[in-house]
Amino acid sequence: MSTDSRKNALRHFFARIVEPMGFKFTPDEELADFLLAQEVKLEEKHGIPFCPCQPIRRDRARDMQIVCPCIPFHRKHFDAMRRCWCGLFVHQDVTDPTSLPQMSAKDLGLE
Amino acid sequence: MSEFVKAIRAEEIAPGGMRTVELKGHQFVVCNCGGTFHAIDRRCGHMNAPLEMGTLDGTIVTCGMHCAQFDVTTGEALAGPVPAYLGNEVPPPRTGALLRNVGLFMQNVRTEPIGCYPAKVEGGWVWIAL
Amino acid sequence: MKKVSMYTLSTCPWCRLAKQYFTQRHIPFEYTDYDLADDSTQERIMRELDAEGASGFPVVKIGDQVVVGYQPDRYAKLLGT
Repeated sequence: MSTDSRKNALRHFFARIVEPMGFKFTPDEELADFLLAQEVKLEEKHGIPFCPCQPIRRDRARDMQIVCPCIPFHRKHFDAMRRCWCGLFVHQDVTDPTSLPQMSAKDLGLE
Repeated sequence: MSEFVKAIRAEEIAPGGMRTVELKGHQFVVCNCGGTFHAIDRRCGHMNAPLEMGTLDGTIVTCGMHCAQFDVTTGEALAGPVPAYLGNEVPPPRTGALLRNVGLFMQNVRTEPIGCYPAKVEGGWVWIAL
Repeated sequence: MKKVSMYTLSTCPWCRLAKQYFTQRHIPFEYTDYDLADDSTQERIMRELDAEGASGFPVVKIGDQVVVGYQPDRYAKLLGT
């Protein structure tokens, strides 16, 4: 079970989920590669590919909301940032992901 | 020395589909990945469940029992099982004891790669090299 | 100098950048990697984050101001630099 094979499998599954929602993998390949490697490690530990940048609470209802791709559970927030929290996915028209902010929903005035 | 053996008519497996065949005492699953056929062991490398009862997505088969995943072009194991969620209810004592006991063993079960065999289509049939 | 502390994850690249921000400017800070902390520490951190309405890391506290997410511009502003 190699990390590279698992990263490729995750790319295959995730692309089909995020594309209909208007997102794509970040063009920052180094960031995508790092985040996917972290998700493979989290999947090995917990059996589930959690977001590498959000807390696992051991509260199932809340933890299910950070299973990658977690966009559906944070749609308004991520659409406002044009990226997901960890930055693995960005809106399809984004070419410069470094220009996208990482701000809480509260800071964006969404709560 | 391996030889190709006639396994199943190609038209019997729709694209994205899987069928099990038994040849010379060994069970295989034949997968139709968008028109290209692959042959793998029938038995999941995790706990031996029949893989044709799982799902095929591209060239990745997911076992229906615990969701272990394999690459049908190489047999490589891509993911182990997904942990079962048993809910918040406290099970009856004997059930709880059984679940804990089984859990101890399952923690030590590894997901191994599965056998993968050359397959070709000839004369409308899928042939597998044994 | 305002006190700087942060809650981070060992798996998060933005948390790493947040740590680097202060390290490179020789600004001392404390941090706790939530995922490597014990259960009671994790619960305490979660209570704090929930109170702030924060659902992701890094969470950086500069003085009594809390910044959720990697926001170097805001760090600079709050540090007065």
